[in-house]
Amino acid sequence: MTAEGADSPGLREQIARNQQTIDRLNRDLERKSDQVRIIQQISSEITSTLDLDQVLEIVLRATERVLGFQHSMILLKDLAEDTLRLFASRGYDPTGVGAEVAFGEGVIGVVAERKRMMRVGSLGAGIAYITSIRARLEAAGEVAPAGAAAKLPGLPKAQSQLALPLLVKDRLVGVLAVESPKPNAFDELDEILLRIVGNQAATAIDNARTYQMVEKLSRLKRFFSPQLAELILTGGADDPLKTHRREVTVAFLDLRGFTAFAETSEPEEVMGVLREYHADMGKLILEHEGTLERFTGDGMMIFFNDPVPVPNPAERAVRMALAMRDRVAALLGRWRKRGYELDLGVGIAQGYATIGAIGFEGRWDYGAIGTVTNLAARLCGEAKPGQILIALRVAGEVEDLIEAEEVGPLALKGLAKPVPAFNVVRLKGRV
Amino acid sequence: MGILPDEIKPAMQGVIPSHVVTCSRDGAPNATSISQVYYVDPDHVALSHQFFNKTVRNVRENPRAVVWVISPETFDAWDLEVEYDHSETSGPVFEAMDMQIEAIASIVGMKGIFKLRAADIYRVISVTKNVDERIPLPDIDEPAGRR
Amino acid sequence: MIPDRVVELLHGPAFMQVGTRDAHLRPAHAWVIGAVVHADRQTVTFFVPESRSARVLSDLQDNGRVALGLGLASHEAYQLKGTYVSSRPTGAEDIALQETYRTEWLAAALQAGYPDEIARPLIRGFAYRPGVAVTFRVKEIFLQTPGPGAGNKMA
Repeated sequence: MTAEGADSPGLREQIARNQQTIDRLNRDLERKSDQVRIIQQISSEITSTLDLDQVLEIVLRATERVLGFQHSMILLKDLAEDTLRLFASRGYDPTGVGAEVAFGEGVIGVVAERKRMMRVGSLGAGIAYITSIRARLEAAGEVAPAGAAAKLPGLPKAQSQLALPLLVKDRLVGVLAVESPKPNAFDELDEILLRIVGNQAATAIDNARTYQMVEKLSRLKRFFSPQLAELILTGGADDPLKTHRREVTVAFLDLRGFTAFAETSEPEEVMGVLREYHADMGKLILEHEGTLERFTGDGMMIFFNDPVPVPNPAERAVRMALAMRDRVAALLGRWRKRGYELDLGVGIAQGYATIGAIGFEGRWDYGAIGTVTNLAARLCGEAKPGQILIALRVAGEVEDLIEAEEVGPLALKGLAKPVPAFNVVRLKGRV
Repeated sequence: MGILPDEIKPAMQGVIPSHVVTCSRDGAPNATSISQVYYVDPDHVALSHQFFNKTVRNVRENPRAVVWVISPETFDAWDLEVEYDHSETSGPVFEAMDMQIEAIASIVGMKGIFKLRAADIYRVISVTKNVDERIPLPDIDEPAGRR
Repeated sequence: MIPDRVVELLHGPAFMQVGTRDAHLRPAHAWVIGAVVHADRQTVTFFVPESRSARVLSDLQDNGRVALGLGLASHEAYQLKGTYVSSRPTGAEDIALQETYRTEWLAAALQAGYPDEIARPLIRGFAYRPGVAVTFRVKEIFLQTPGPGAGNKMA
């Protein structure tokens, strides 16, 4: 192994050195088997919770306390794009949580892209080396001058990095990375230990994340169509539950005579009617891409142009209202036979509203606040059986489409001045 | 059991530049520094081939080379007699080197410009650890203000 | 003629190694602690530790081919190729020059950003005395700085 001769002092020295090495390895082994035991304990901790933050915290704590890595972070893959986002870190100030790393960018980005672990012990030297080449290429005009270097999360002068892709059946969940300002801070044993923690972490994180998604999805599905809920979840649409302001067309509808009917009928009969009515109205709302904000008994509030913008919200609202009126007319035939005196009334208005999640933990609703909702509700209240009352702004939008008769101006509660209103008779060209 | 001891591994992480001497077929030695010698297995090391330079050319004519690496932990210098064996452009060794180079290149905006062309694999013939006396210099090791 | 910049580096704190080869074209090397460019600007004397000189000297006696590589922490690097002239044990004057070189090397390494805990033991680890002074005549000079033009002949 070495060039030393076999003379006895050299040999003795070699034997002593070998013994030292064996002792050191034994000590290492003991230390590491302790660590492996502790890691096993952590694994039961990790799998006992479905709370993502808690899982991340357990992983990072283990990385620090058990493996002795002082700077660690977990980045999770974006659900829609090939980027990573920093979700949790330990040993940094400030934490930088939320920072993004594109695939292929830096040690962590390349690890994500290739789904392979990487250990680097000389980042500073490597960066200095390639920078010097870059400077010469720039001077020779062979490459364009460098823009600002990408700001990557982590220690500004890390010398060593060990980054592990978190994989569940070859699918990338994220990256667990540790780093150090010292060169060569990590060795092969560290790789093995981090991999043990990482394998458990990947599954636990994935489960927690899936659980979080299912929770969120079920919450979103209460307000939106399943397709839209999925779209929001995967990041393809902005989260509409965040408060925002937008121009919307709002339609209110309810059944004339419902209160009297409910008071005089058996609950089973009332529920039967409502089920039929809700099922049919629900279908028409989806067909016209409306958003059902809420229904209370026989009343429904639907808006258009939110959360998904649509090109012609007023037209959609009016067409939906007409389709509903036709549908209710068909239901009425059956209801009347059973002696129920019911009919549909609709009010439609358009204007700006503040929209978002309204309520409190455990009972959130998707709601819109603004004069427009009030106006639509009041128009609905004024509508006679079978009438669809639309506000001036809506009438302006759909005048080419419909035949309407003026019914206003109406003095409405909560509105300072009487407002003009129109009753939609039919679509033009129809009898 | 291979020829490279475990304790040489820290010397193959690129912390301290390494040096290599090769010799052309017509007998001209070539002495140059390299940023990193990569540990492959107990009998092999790899050198990165980014540019078609004299080292790359020489070993294809005359495979013998000497490599000199230094441990940043013990500061032992190791002399390796090696012989160029083959070149890889795929597989685990290439990929490990390639992703490391790509990661660093991406940090300084050189991704795709500075890249690994091949991993040149060398067989290790002998390893010698330098056991020279370390000579302190008073004016270096105990500069004013350090005491 | 060795260019000014290369003279400056040879005299200053460039890191140096010498490469030789034997009759079977097997390369050998040794580190170099200190060098002097002669007045003719073509002849260079460099110093290798005696402990590492045996193979290099026997190669030089066999075929005289010398390659002297030198580089800075900034990655600026050159290589001098030439023919062996002579060798002798280093004297007090040479050793004084080598000691200055070591001090300057450390200062330059620290300035280039090498951490003290690496630069200091690193230079300490390079034995230099007793040493051998090797003189050779420079025939060719190559630019070795990585990047465009690397490997180009300068003189």
